Amino acid sequence: MFAYMVRRLLILIPLLFVICFLVYLGMFLTPGDPVSYMIGPEAMQNLKPAELEALKEALGLNQPFIIRFLLWLGGVMKGDFGYSLQSGVPIKNIVLARLPATLELSGVALLLSTVFGSLLGTVSALKRGSIGDNALTVAGMIGVSIPQFVFGLAAIVVFTLKLHWLPVGGRIEPDDVTFWDRFPNLVMPSLVLAATMVAGVMRYSRSSMLDSMNREFIKTARSKGLPEWRVNFVHGFRVALLPVIVLIGFRLPMLLGGSVIVEQVFQWPGIGNEFVAAVRSYNYPLIMMIAFFSVFAVLIASFLIDLLTAWLDPRVKFE
Amino acid sequence: MRKDRIVVLVTTMLLLATGLFAGGSKEAAPAASTAPTSTAVGPTNSNPLSDLRVRQAMAYAIDMKTACATLLQGMALPADSDIPNGPWKTPDLSKYEYNPEKAKALLKEAKWDSNRVLDLIYYYADQETVDLMTAIQQWFAAVGIKMKFRQITGDLAAQLNALPADAEKGPSGITWDLAYGAKAALALQEYYNAYARSVDGKPQIAHTPANATMDSLIAATNSTSDIAKQKEAFFALEKYMASNVKDIPLYYQQLFIYENKRLNRNGGLYGNDQYNYDWGILNWTVTADANGKQILYTNTGPKQFFFEPWSDPAIHITRKVLWDRLITCDGSLTPTTGKLASSYKLSADGMNLTFTLRDGLKWHDGSPLTVDDVKWSVETALKFPTLNAVFKKTFNSLKGAKDYLEGKTPGVAGITASGNTITFDFASLDPNCLLTFTQWAPLPKKYLAKADPLKFQQDPFWQNPVGSGPYRIDKVSMNDYLVMVPYKDYWGGVAKIDQIVCYPSDDNDANVVKNAAAQKLDYGFTKNVGDVKSLQAMSHMNVKAVDIPYTRILWVNQFPKPAAK
Repeated sequence: MFAYMVRRLLILIPLLFVICFLVYLGMFLTPGDPVSYMIGPEAMQNLKPAELEALKEALGLNQPFIIRFLLWLGGVMKGDFGYSLQSGVPIKNIVLARLPATLELSGVALLLSTVFGSLLGTVSALKRGSIGDNALTVAGMIGVSIPQFVFGLAAIVVFTLKLHWLPVGGRIEPDDVTFWDRFPNLVMPSLVLAATMVAGVMRYSRSSMLDSMNREFIKTARSKGLPEWRVNFVHGFRVALLPVIVLIGFRLPMLLGGSVIVEQVFQWPGIGNEFVAAVRSYNYPLIMMIAFFSVFAVLIASFLIDLLTAWLDPRVKFE
Repeated sequence: MRKDRIVVLVTTMLLLATGLFAGGSKEAAPAASTAPTSTAVGPTNSNPLSDLRVRQAMAYAIDMKTACATLLQGMALPADSDIPNGPWKTPDLSKYEYNPEKAKALLKEAKWDSNRVLDLIYYYADQETVDLMTAIQQWFAAVGIKMKFRQITGDLAAQLNALPADAEKGPSGITWDLAYGAKAALALQEYYNAYARSVDGKPQIAHTPANATMDSLIAATNSTSDIAKQKEAFFALEKYMASNVKDIPLYYQQLFIYENKRLNRNGGLYGNDQYNYDWGILNWTVTADANGKQILYTNTGPKQFFFEPWSDPAIHITRKVLWDRLITCDGSLTPTTGKLASSYKLSADGMNLTFTLRDGLKWHDGSPLTVDDVKWSVETALKFPTLNAVFKKTFNSLKGAKDYLEGKTPGVAGITASGNTITFDFASLDPNCLLTFTQWAPLPKKYLAKADPLKFQQDPFWQNPVGSGPYRIDKVSMNDYLVMVPYKDYWGGVAKIDQIVCYPSDDNDANVVKNAAAQKLDYGFTKNVGDVKSLQAMSHMNVKAVDIPYTRILWVNQFPKPAAK
C-alpha cells in the first residue's frame, strides 16, 4: 500500500506541471495582454509605440513564451510566485489575503451541504414513495436546476431588499471586529452555495442508500434482530456513504478555488472573484498561482478519494 | 435562432421601417442652409473610401436619431461633430440627417461597387454595441453598401492604431475599413490633434490622410490661449471636418450622476464627474445615522491597490479626494481659482505660468508640501508612459523637457522653484496648461523618489498612499472596504461628512443597482444605460444626466491598402 501511495504521489508531480504548462499556453494563446487592459483602447491612442514597448519590457512581457514559462516555473520551485502585474504586490500576499474568505465561504457551504444532503437523502430513501420523499426529490431537482446567480439574486431581493435581515454583500464592514460581527455577511452566500450543493449530495445519498438497503448484508443484519436504526444508520449508511464521499472529494478543490458565481453575486472577496479579475486583466502570475493550487487540490483530492474508497469499501484493493 | 438574436433582428427591422418611412418625409431632407454641397471630388487614392461622396453617403445612411431613441433608450444624443454640444460647437455645421435616397444618389455618382464588403471592427464587448452594429449593417445594406462587423481582441493598439508609412499617401498600416470607437476628451484639442502630422512630418493617426489645410486648422486651435480666438479656430476646424466627413460622429454619450436623496450637496456644483471640478465636497452632508455620524457610501474603492492620479485624474473617488490640485475649475472644466496655489498667473502670451502655494500646506502624514514636491512630480510625470495626454502635452511643452527626457540635464530647465513660488516657462504654447493644473496632482517626493516611472503603479506607496486632499485614508482592507475621514489640516477647512466608506469596484461597477437598492451606495456615476433605468425607478435615488465630451465615432480608413504580396 505504501509503495502504491508513493507511486501515485510521484505521478502527481509531472502531471501538475504538464497541466500548468497547458494553462500557461492557453493564456499565451488568448488574445490580449495586461498592458492593453491597464491602458484601454482609448488611452492607447495617445501612446507612442516606443512607450508601449518600454512598458511591456518593464513588465517582462516582451520575452518569448517558453522563457516566461520557465522563469515562472523556476520561481515556483523557489517558492516565488511573482508579483501582480497591476499592483506589484507579491502574488503570495494576494492569495493569502483572499484565501480565508474563500475557505470560510466554501468550508461552511461544504459542511452544510454534506450534513444536510446526506441526512435528507437517507431519510428520503428510508421513506421512499412518501410525501416527504417526493417533496425532497422535487426540492432536489429545483436545487440542481436553478442557476446559482438566480438563487443568489432572489435571496438578495427577499432577505435584503424586502425583509432587511441580511446585508447585500461583502465580507467585512469597517466596524466589524470579531467573527460574529461579520457573521451576517456570511449567512446568505454560504446558504445559497450550500443550497445549490445540497441537492447533489441528497440525490447521490438517496440512490446510494436505496441501493445498499437492498443488499444481502442488510437482510442479514435485520435477521439477526438488530434494531432498525442500527441497520439503517450503521450498516446501510456506511456503505451508502461511498459515492457521496467521492462527490464531496471532488468538491474539495473548491475550498481553494472558490465559487466564482456566488462570490460575484455577493461581492465576496475570495479567490474566485480574484481569479475572474485576474483573467480579465491578463494578470498572468496571479492566474498561474490560482491555477497551480486549484490543479494541485484536484490531484490531491482524487488521490485522497482513492484512499478513502479503499478504506470504506473492503472490496477495493490497492494495486 | 437564439431569442436575443431574434430581438435584435426585430428591432433592426422596426428601426429600418421607421427610418425608411421617415426618409421619404419632409424631415429627412437636409436643411438648405446646412446641407453639405455634394462636391464632385472623386477618390484621392485607390481606396474608394477616400471618395468624399462615399463617406457622405455612409453618413446619410445611418439613422442615429432613431437609434438613440430606441437602441440607446433615449439616453444618448445624435452627434453631428466630434465636439460635444455647447459653446464650442459651431452652429453652422454640415448636417447629415438620415436620408437613404441621398445616400444612394451619392453612391451612384461615386460608382460604388456594391459587391465590395466593408470590414468594420469594434472593441466593446457589450450587446448594445452588437445591436448598433447590426442596425448600421442593415442601414448600409438598404443603400447598397455591404458591411461585415467583428469585435477585435488582443493587441488592440496594433490592430487599431498601426500607422501608415506616409501621413498623406499611406499605404495603410491597418486592415479594416471602418472602426467603431469612442473619443473621450479632457481638452477639446484631443479630438483633432492626432489628425495633424507631427512636427517631424510623421503620421499620428491610422485612418485619415493628413493634408496641409487640416494641419493648419489644427495648429490654429493649439496656438492661442485666447478663448475667443481658440473658439474661432475650433469652429473653422469643425466645419472642415464635417463637410469633408473626415470621420462619422454617431452619438454623444451622457454621464449619469446618481445620488441617494439623503445626500445633499448644499449648493455644490454638478459637472463632469469623470474629472475634477469645484464640486464643494467640503460642504456636502448626508443624513446622520443612529449614532449621529454622517457616513457616505460609495464605490470605486481599491481592490488590490490605489490607482495613481496621473493617467486618469478622477475616475475613482480616491483619485478625486485624496490629492489636491494646484487650481480648480467649474463644472465645464474652465479654470476658476486656486486650490493648493493661493494665486496663479499666466502671462499674456501664455508662455509663462506662475503658481504661489499657500502657506503651511501639509501632506496627510503632516510633512510639508512644498514647491520641491511639485517640481519633482512634474519631472517624474514626464517619464511616466501612461500620463494623461493633456498633461503630457503641457509638460512636454516646457523649456528643457526634451533635454531632460534624453538625460542631458538633471532637471527640466523650464521649472524654477523658490520659496512658495513655482514658475513654468514654456518652449511652445500649450493652450491647455491651466486645464492641466486643474486635474494633475503633485505627489509626495519623499515616498516616491525611488519609484521607477515605468513601474510607478507597482510601487508599494499605492497600498496606502499619502495625499493632500480634503479626505485622508483612515483604514483600508483591500477588496473589503476603504474608510476615508476629513483631513483636519486641510487648507480649505474640515469636510462635514464624517466618513466616506468606499466599497471595492472598477469604475464600471457591476453592483450599482444591488447596492443602491440596499442603500449602500449614496453617490456615484455611470454611463451604463441599463443601470440608469433601474436607478431612476428607485424612489430614494436621484439621477442627473450630464453632457460630457464623450463621442462615439465611426472612423473611416481612407488610406490605400498595401499591395497584396
